[in-house]
Amino acid sequence: MDFVSNQEPQLKRMLEKIGVADPLELFEAIPKKILLPRPIQDDGLSEFEGMRRMEQIAAANTFPSFDNYLGAGSYEHHVPALVHAICSKSEFLTAYTPYQPEASQGMLQSIFEYQSAICALTGMEVSNASVYDGASACAEAALMSLRTQKKRNQILIGETLHPHYRGVVDHYLRSQAVEVLTIPISSDGRLDLEFVKKRISPQTASLLVQSPSFLGVMDEIPRLCVVAKEVGALLILCANPLVYGLYRSAGEAGADIAVGDCQPFGIPMQFGGPYAGYIACKESLVRQLPGRIVGETVDTQGRRGFVLTLQAREQHIRREKATSNICTNQALAALAALVALLWYGKEGVRKLALTNFQRAAYLKQRLKSVKGVSFLSEAPHFNEFVVRFEDPLNQVLARFREKGIEPGLPLERYFSTLNQHLLVAVTETKSKAQLDRYVEVARHG
Amino acid sequence: MAKTAFNKSQKGQHAWSLPKEEEAFHSFSPPKESLRETEIELPELSELDLTRHFSGLARKNMGIDTHFYPLGSCTMKLNPRVNEWCAALPGFTRTHPLAPDEAVQGNLRVIYELISFLCQLCGMEGGSLAPNAGAQGEFVGVQMIAAYHRSRGESHRTEFLIPDSAHGTNPATAAMAGFSTVPIPTDHKGDMDLKKLKAACSERTAGLMLTNPNTLGLFSPVILEIARCVHEAGGLLFYDGANLNPLLAITRPGDMGFDVMHINLHKTFSTPHGGGGPGSGPVLCKARLKPFLPLPYIVKEGGHYRTVWRSEQTIGHISSFLGNFAIYLRAYLYVILHGMFGLRRIAEQSVVNANYLKTCLQAYFTIPFPQPCMHEFVVQADTYLDKGVRALDIAKRLLDYGVHAPTIYFPLIIKECLLIEPTESESLDTLDRFIQIIEKIVREIQEDPQLVKTAPHSLSVSRLDEVRAARQPILRTYLFREDNIDL
Repeated sequence: MDFVSNQEPQLKRMLEKIGVADPLELFEAIPKKILLPRPIQDDGLSEFEGMRRMEQIAAANTFPSFDNYLGAGSYEHHVPALVHAICSKSEFLTAYTPYQPEASQGMLQSIFEYQSAICALTGMEVSNASVYDGASACAEAALMSLRTQKKRNQILIGETLHPHYRGVVDHYLRSQAVEVLTIPISSDGRLDLEFVKKRISPQTASLLVQSPSFLGVMDEIPRLCVVAKEVGALLILCANPLVYGLYRSAGEAGADIAVGDCQPFGIPMQFGGPYAGYIACKESLVRQLPGRIVGETVDTQGRRGFVLTLQAREQHIRREKATSNICTNQALAALAALVALLWYGKEGVRKLALTNFQRAAYLKQRLKSVKGVSFLSEAPHFNEFVVRFEDPLNQVLARFREKGIEPGLPLERYFSTLNQHLLVAVTETKSKAQLDRYVEVARHG
Repeated sequence: MAKTAFNKSQKGQHAWSLPKEEEAFHSFSPPKESLRETEIELPELSELDLTRHFSGLARKNMGIDTHFYPLGSCTMKLNPRVNEWCAALPGFTRTHPLAPDEAVQGNLRVIYELISFLCQLCGMEGGSLAPNAGAQGEFVGVQMIAAYHRSRGESHRTEFLIPDSAHGTNPATAAMAGFSTVPIPTDHKGDMDLKKLKAACSERTAGLMLTNPNTLGLFSPVILEIARCVHEAGGLLFYDGANLNPLLAITRPGDMGFDVMHINLHKTFSTPHGGGGPGSGPVLCKARLKPFLPLPYIVKEGGHYRTVWRSEQTIGHISSFLGNFAIYLRAYLYVILHGMFGLRRIAEQSVVNANYLKTCLQAYFTIPFPQPCMHEFVVQADTYLDKGVRALDIAKRLLDYGVHAPTIYFPLIIKECLLIEPTESESLDTLDRFIQIIEKIVREIQEDPQLVKTAPHSLSVSRLDEVRAARQPILRTYLFREDNIDL
């Protein structure tokens, strides 16, 4: 099948008007030897057949039938029904980037509200309209820190930054003349503050750290901020934004740039994307923010309206001198995050964060009574923690999976020394009965 | 007047609900000294007020579903609803990106098969769906070219050749990847100036970034010569896939001589633009560049699919996980519904629709390039400058008539440019109506140019003060701020 409107009768009239007998005449600029023959057999499907095929493929994914404890940057949260209802509205779903602001006030105002909500949550002063994902938010923030301080050529990155994010940051920094130092983990699972004190210098453009870290640990951000300030370096804080419902915000902790992924708010796990990365910062850094930013203005009659603004930073104006090559934001995913944030609202976000914390804490507490189970760190956590099993890990995994539980992420792929360890995420979607069952399986197999 | 959700907050109201609290959870609390100190300044709204708020905003937005949207270079074709149905299946939405391979065989199959299909369609030999958008696909492609030269000890290749008609992302991408850019001018026929290209090729050439058909909507008849030229200098060719729509099952970038390319699934493969994203920008390449593809890879062993997270020469990770899965899932369905047969129909009809419009619009605009166009074309609205009417004014007046404006002032090399792309989706009736509207606007320009110069008149706002927005940036609102608005 196809979605082409015009058929033979229209085609005939159009070709007459153009003055050609066959559409192929319009392709004469293409060298003959690379022109393909018109297919004869219809190898497509009907809509019905396509839908059945997709249902079969979806059914080959057994994962949704498991009790899921995987996190590591993608979390299973309730997605309010309103989110899908709003995001599937034609006018949002099928619009392009708001190049004609008068015809795009709905999306522009939504983005403006998204920017406001991200600022409110993170405690920062300005936000852009979103970037691809948490990883690219980290990378763009690192580049920002180099642009604002052109003479500095060193960045310190915490070892507990999500390893995938780190990969993307390295990728973006590859073409920059910059030295990247990794801040190692100390024995309590937090970053080694002494290392930072020793290695930070007036050459340091920024510290990029994650808290809660990849290993679920809340790090000592205010102390790191103090150390960074002493040499004039920026502190870039990557975080699951839900944490700010409970723990001190990036602004309160003293960060200069707050980054992360909006996925926990209104965006399904959907095998890793699309998500939306957020970047919020202090006002003094706004001209170095990458990507789209929406601002408020007035029309010729003095009515309030919204436009893309500060575009002098962007690729379609600056070309090779732009702050970034990015031209999309994740508008629809950012809209989903906004709707979810407003659905939870001031009080709901706090309660949701607390619920996540308490359920994770409950599971961790209960697991303490299980023989052969121990923990990587006793430092405070949010909704994730690392658990160590004495039994061989593949046996442990098999035991859980047999009972329909995906118990957590094996960490050996990322940290070779953590070869007995799982990263366990607990959200509001897990009931007490499910958590108790996890403990039972851990205990008895 | 525009009230934000923050302006609408009513104390104590809310939409949220949470699973019942359990006594057993109550005793847990985080250390006091690390708690948030201030309230979260989000509004308090009931579900009904929230719903009306966003329904109201939606009405102030044009989309393809509601309006003809001939925005050049953006391929605003129908976004079939069956795609949305598919992407919302719980079997897909409830899968975690780090789930064990055996639990997500369906997802891995989609990735594997879509890459194979796109390779077949484009004459390429390997690929990755990880890039999150076109610009990131470009970035990956350019980095793969850099890695290729590095692996051959040719790091002295530091220049990228880029035509002056290119998308702004091309030079921005090359610069971001650490290359210097050499602009190649366009000749009077709208094609790349071959002589200037030859003169620019050297042992410093890393590669060429090219869109074909270019942003003027023209296919380069000397494409094979261009490729030879760059290859002989030791450079590689990157294909910007923004304009792939008219070439589906007609000809293949791989056969034109390109070594690596990206595709905008949100253009050619109908995934919704969502008001500016998310998109998806898969990258495809010839065999010699395969080792440098970004992670992860999906391999098929017997009937089983496996994810590979490590490799020797890869350029590494480009996205948090595996890219925008729910976007390329839609593209996969679009592809299997069409088959090669349906894709060919798309290409042919998109070109017929564009040429029909172009032929009919000759009466009203300067047509800088008379030869047949591909899926889009440029016109110059420079004949109305004596009335003080510019391309921008015509664009704004179109909005009043319920048509989204074409792309304006791009490509930069065309004076008072309108870049028009009707896509294969649009019917003859819609195209004829567009022509009538243009005719009407032209009449208005003669009779009452002021009406056009002050358009739009029928939308929620008239022209907006962009200078003020940039000079006195207001980039957020506050819960407790008294916004200076008429309620």
